Amino acid sequence: MKHAKHFMLSALFSILTIAVLHAQFTVQGTVTDATGDPLIGATILVKGTTTGTTTDIDGSFELRLPGQEATLLVTYTGYADREVAVSSTNNNVSISLQEAVSELSEVIVVGYGETRKEALTGSVTSLRSEQIEQVPLASVEQALQGNIAGLQSVMGNGQPGANVQVRIRGIGSISASSEPLYVIDGIPVTSGDITRTNTTANTMASLNPNDIEAVTVLKDAAATSIYGSRGANGVILITTKSGRSGKPRIDLKTQVGFNGWAVSDSRRLKPLTAEQYTEMYLEGWMNRGETVQRAMERFNGHYPGAVDFGPNGEIQRINIESDWIDAITRTGFNQSYDLSASGGTDAVSYYASGSYFSQEAPIIYSGLDRYSSRLNLKVKPNEKFTISNNLSLSRLEQYGMSDGSFWANPLYTGYFLAPVIPIYDDQGRFYGDHQSFFMGGNNPVGSLSGDDNRQFDQIRIMDNLSADYQLAKGLKFRTAWAFDMINVQEFFYRNPRYGDGRNVNGYATETAINELNWIGTQTLNYSKTFKTDHNVSALVGYEAQKNRRKGVITTGEQYPNSELRTLQNAANPTQAYSDFTEYTFSSIFSRVDYNYQLKYYLSGSVRRDGSSRFGRNNRYGTFWSVGLSWRMDQEAFLQDVSFIDDLKLRTSYGTNGNAGIGNYEHLPLFGFGADYDGSPGGVPTEIGNVNLTWETSTNFNIGLDFGLFNFLSGTVEYFSRESDNLLLARPISSTTGFTSLTQNFGAMRNSGLELTLNANIISRDNFSWGVGGNITFLKNEVTRLDEDIIDGTKIRKEGYDFQTFYLYEYAGVDPATGTPLWYTDESESTMTGNINDATRFISGRSATPDFFGGLNTNLAFKGITLDAQFVYSFGNYLYDTEARFLQGDGSLTPRSQTQINLQRWREPGDITDVPYFRWGGNNNSNVANMTRWLKDGSHIRLRNVTLAYSLPNTLVSKVGFRSARIYARGVNLWTWTKDKDLYMDPEAAINGLVESPVPNLKTISFGLDIGF
Amino acid sequence: MKKIIFKTFIYPVAVMLLLMTASCSEEFLELQPSGAADLNSAIQSLDDYKAAVNGMYSGLQSANYYGRYFILVPDVMSDDVKQNAQANRARDFADYVANVQDGIAAGMFNTIYNVINRANTVINAETEVPAAVQNQKDQYRGEAFAVRALAHFDLVRIFAQHYGFTSGNSHAGIPIVTVFDQESKPARSTVAEVYTQIISDLEQSVSLMTIDQANPGRISKETAQALLARVNLYMGNWARAEQFATSVINSGNYSLLSNDAYADSWNQQYSSESIFSIFFRSDDDNGSDALGRMYIVEGYGDYLPSQDVVGLIPEGDARLGIFKEDPNLSGVLGTIRVNKYPNPAVQNSTPVVRLSEMYLIRAEARAMQGNEAGAQEDVTLIRQRGLPTADAVTATGQGLLDEIEKERRIELMFEGHRLWDLMRKKQGVFRTDCTGLTCEISYPNDRFVAPIPQREVDANPNMVQNPGYGS
Repeated sequence: MKHAKHFMLSALFSILTIAVLHAQFTVQGTVTDATGDPLIGATILVKGTTTGTTTDIDGSFELRLPGQEATLLVTYTGYADREVAVSSTNNNVSISLQEAVSELSEVIVVGYGETRKEALTGSVTSLRSEQIEQVPLASVEQALQGNIAGLQSVMGNGQPGANVQVRIRGIGSISASSEPLYVIDGIPVTSGDITRTNTTANTMASLNPNDIEAVTVLKDAAATSIYGSRGANGVILITTKSGRSGKPRIDLKTQVGFNGWAVSDSRRLKPLTAEQYTEMYLEGWMNRGETVQRAMERFNGHYPGAVDFGPNGEIQRINIESDWIDAITRTGFNQSYDLSASGGTDAVSYYASGSYFSQEAPIIYSGLDRYSSRLNLKVKPNEKFTISNNLSLSRLEQYGMSDGSFWANPLYTGYFLAPVIPIYDDQGRFYGDHQSFFMGGNNPVGSLSGDDNRQFDQIRIMDNLSADYQLAKGLKFRTAWAFDMINVQEFFYRNPRYGDGRNVNGYATETAINELNWIGTQTLNYSKTFKTDHNVSALVGYEAQKNRRKGVITTGEQYPNSELRTLQNAANPTQAYSDFTEYTFSSIFSRVDYNYQLKYYLSGSVRRDGSSRFGRNNRYGTFWSVGLSWRMDQEAFLQDVSFIDDLKLRTSYGTNGNAGIGNYEHLPLFGFGADYDGSPGGVPTEIGNVNLTWETSTNFNIGLDFGLFNFLSGTVEYFSRESDNLLLARPISSTTGFTSLTQNFGAMRNSGLELTLNANIISRDNFSWGVGGNITFLKNEVTRLDEDIIDGTKIRKEGYDFQTFYLYEYAGVDPATGTPLWYTDESESTMTGNINDATRFISGRSATPDFFGGLNTNLAFKGITLDAQFVYSFGNYLYDTEARFLQGDGSLTPRSQTQINLQRWREPGDITDVPYFRWGGNNNSNVANMTRWLKDGSHIRLRNVTLAYSLPNTLVSKVGFRSARIYARGVNLWTWTKDKDLYMDPEAAINGLVESPVPNLKTISFGLDIGF
Repeated sequence: MKKIIFKTFIYPVAVMLLLMTASCSEEFLELQPSGAADLNSAIQSLDDYKAAVNGMYSGLQSANYYGRYFILVPDVMSDDVKQNAQANRARDFADYVANVQDGIAAGMFNTIYNVINRANTVINAETEVPAAVQNQKDQYRGEAFAVRALAHFDLVRIFAQHYGFTSGNSHAGIPIVTVFDQESKPARSTVAEVYTQIISDLEQSVSLMTIDQANPGRISKETAQALLARVNLYMGNWARAEQFATSVINSGNYSLLSNDAYADSWNQQYSSESIFSIFFRSDDDNGSDALGRMYIVEGYGDYLPSQDVVGLIPEGDARLGIFKEDPNLSGVLGTIRVNKYPNPAVQNSTPVVRLSEMYLIRAEARAMQGNEAGAQEDVTLIRQRGLPTADAVTATGQGLLDEIEKERRIELMFEGHRLWDLMRKKQGVFRTDCTGLTCEISYPNDRFVAPIPQREVDANPNMVQNPGYGS
């Protein structure tokens, strides 16, 4: 068949050749990709004719042409078409093709298959490897922020390897998970934090982003309903790289850099200096009616010799000056080395890689190391049969710390510790003699310098074996079996001398977590074209999954030697504990796609899921979707509209579910472990609910994809996602002995508009400039809730945003007395100095942004490229949970405060928001849940800027390289915040709560990538 | 050839795999957790009763309950305790400025009701056991009735005004919970109703328990009687109070410590006068949150003994042995710390009820009934146990009652009694040795009662907040 085609082409060519014999010339040339690799089988046609040829195995071609000049049209699947002018004098050409910018011919991975972009009926966005590779971030989800409309991805903690929160089209649940489902090479995998003693961790950080070919985000029902009860929060499909047939390609990617705080020095929370603290110390006691002499006496009792005073409290000399925050701050180092090989033949193709990645936070101790390797192998013994195996191994080592209001949190204790307490004692050890009056003698500098440990290592092995067999023409059977094994070993140690281990002579906790996730998927796929215009494909499948996680926790105390930290050295073992937890899913699913003349598309999917997570009465659920699209640009009436390149209208409607709750929440449970006096005990631990089932989400989506004037492309999309039967830990009267009951209760709607625009403003051979961006307007509303739920700082109330703050409204400081004031109610007409006369109310502020997104620009001139990406979020509020302690106006004697307290009220007439300073507090001025701690989080941040230079092929080939690229990159180099006095990093957790975490990183790095 | 493979092998396999869903899913989807049993069938045997009873005691160990706050909070509100300079925990109670968001109040409320649910799990289990062990089952249920009574008694003390606050005892008490109902939103019963329930549960407890319980870490018949003595004392039922105190004293199971053994007994898990104490082992130690560590230098050391009580103790009294010098203290803070719960490594037991209290209850009950000789005898016994050379008490009338009150204050200091004694005698708190912001709180006062947690008011529309705490 193929031979016949070639023969006919050749024959035709010969005839044409003869016909125009009188004037002709020969063109020779090569066709390569952007990196200089030959493209085999590229089509070269003389424009406006059927004259042409294809490139051979070296990418070269030769063509005899009539006349003196011609224009060649060069095409290759997946690459942008290119026109090249040739003539009898310009008859030797090197043509390099750029990978397709026009996204409408891209192959997109979707649930249980792949499709062409133009065939999509659902809302699907893809990120390709170039946007992920060598970004100095620990995990791939971090790279999604700002790149995909409708998706928020935040860490809220700069700890390398921290958990990343991803929300696709808003928060869809109250108590259940709002995290999307992660699918790697077709396998739903464990994501998030599975550790027990670490503050934050991310199993996904085991994946080397350089191994990723594409990340595809599925957003609407047409795309996600095939994932049934786990599709409601969206699905992130990650496809790893595979080999292409051709010469082996070796790539070495290296990068080194430095990490600092993402917010500039002037915008950080500052600790008090010794002088400031000493002044406030005396003032704090004097404001309790004590004499200055008595206050000095107290000071000298706490900090003997730290400060020399005059007779009336004048500070004459500071003898001890400790800046605890400065002492734990460093410039972190990051480095990454990645070596990969790929290639193959028609029968075997491979991609193999090994990499090392290391990232240090700007806080001492905090860091991450990753070692990973991957082998993706595909064997195709004949046309009908394919076997592939993707195997990856990785090891993560993370060194972390506490956050929140724990004394072990260095960014909490570091502010509290009085600057007149020395860091080192007179023996040169880390000082710990303040334990009798100061937070257990915690010393964050010592703790993070090796006196304590909080770390884990994680080994993850993922193997994904599949076989495809073509049973008949158009009919394929596929069986895929995957195993995902995660082994986590945590080690937590507190030294005997100071801090949390002091009373038990040191203690340690060792944790082992073993997770095995297996999944088997069997599918049959049939596709056929009827009567040339009707294209149908259908899929049916069965899938079973079981996940089992086992944990062992052991603790011991009484350590003889602070260097020997394994539990064998602990004189007193205090805990031996193990448990396991499991879940299963069993599902059948089907999808049918139909199109007429590649113009009108219809898709439908259905999935029936059963899961162990749900009550016996409601164990199975069925989810479905319908999608339609219309490629208007294919219509005759638009063919002549020259400025329209692409135009597609699509819409979808359907349901999916959210099964993201605990494994046994439907069961009424009597749990053990509540021992007494060495004898085992059990207690009711869970009320249970046999009717418990998944949340149902009903999704509507309508979108328009367009390409205009040959340079502008984009998508406008409206979505509405109604989540019903919300799994809700509904607060119940604690007189029952429980504080909440998990029920399917309540409804919520996320609706919004997503706009994505990309423009190739200049597009020439040696110079190109493109800009792009996306914006998402998101509206969240609780649509059904029988009773209000007050959850810490927030209220869940019908008709309001899920993340609406519910706080006492702080009215500042009474200028006459220096005491705090609050508004009594939402009329804000009356102020009170007594918190018990104030009420909390809704003031319309929420942690949900009004709009968010990203902007990017890329400039290429010859081999030089300059890329920049901005991310932004507007209208979201942040609540500083630790401020009531760190800026507590002296409520916690004698803990230091921050420089914000320097603006405190001192004398009648002072106008300020900071009340006067008094040890023991000032009339509840630091009460929780008030707007004094609420800040506007609106910001724009330069997420990424990269300047790169690709050395000319002519140069690199001389030293035997295929390609070489050097670059400099900056992450989070610049941040603008709407609130000019904001002292926190504006990129916080989705819930807007800031708990004194490790600061987000600013990274400057330099890289060299070489291809062989 | 290929067609044959397709027909005979692959196609059936594919179909089979697709059909697996029907065959194995039911069993595949039925999973049970590793650390828990079905709640509805949790108690099937005597051993299950035992486990549930242990779980109930375990609840009493919480730092929100007998592990710390339920003892600490009333003491810091009283005139026995003053605040160290860096006192940061129960300070809002010490200064009488707690608000409805208070975490300690919420912790106590939730924890104590959780203990009630644990007790109800035992009481309401309708499980038959062999006749040979029926008495053991009854014993367990008796323990549960006593714990349920104790928990209601503790809640009504901390969250409601004292019994005699209104003449008919008709002021708001706390919700009574005797059965588990996840939907219940109970209103507050009156204090009278709550006390009636407490008495009824304790009497039920006494009647169920027939086995001698030698281990004071568990509730015995005498524990229930001792609690009946205390509850009746609070109610002013003097005859009943005396009767139950006498039963415990005469049981022969307990004896007063000798003078030399007294101070050291606080280092021990229990002593000959322990009737019921909450025991701790290293695995249920509350760590920095243990009661004793609020006082000792190795812990938070937030609270110090007030000279108001220390000054009452005569020179040479064995009870001065529960203090310890701290050279780092000076000035108004004094020089000593409370060392009644001295162990920095393993949490000391919290005494719930001791024999000496029975003598002091009886002394007061006898004095109120006019038996002054008997009262003098009881109070002298306790006083001379502390200081053998002390004079016998000979006062009468109000003087005798004052002597009893003083002895009670010294004997039971830092065990969470003082505030309730002041309340039932309708006295305010007047601190002379005072390091806090609030030194005098006159009686009556809304602030002697903790706020109902806002969370509960939000979740339970029938719950009425205590006066003085806003809406």
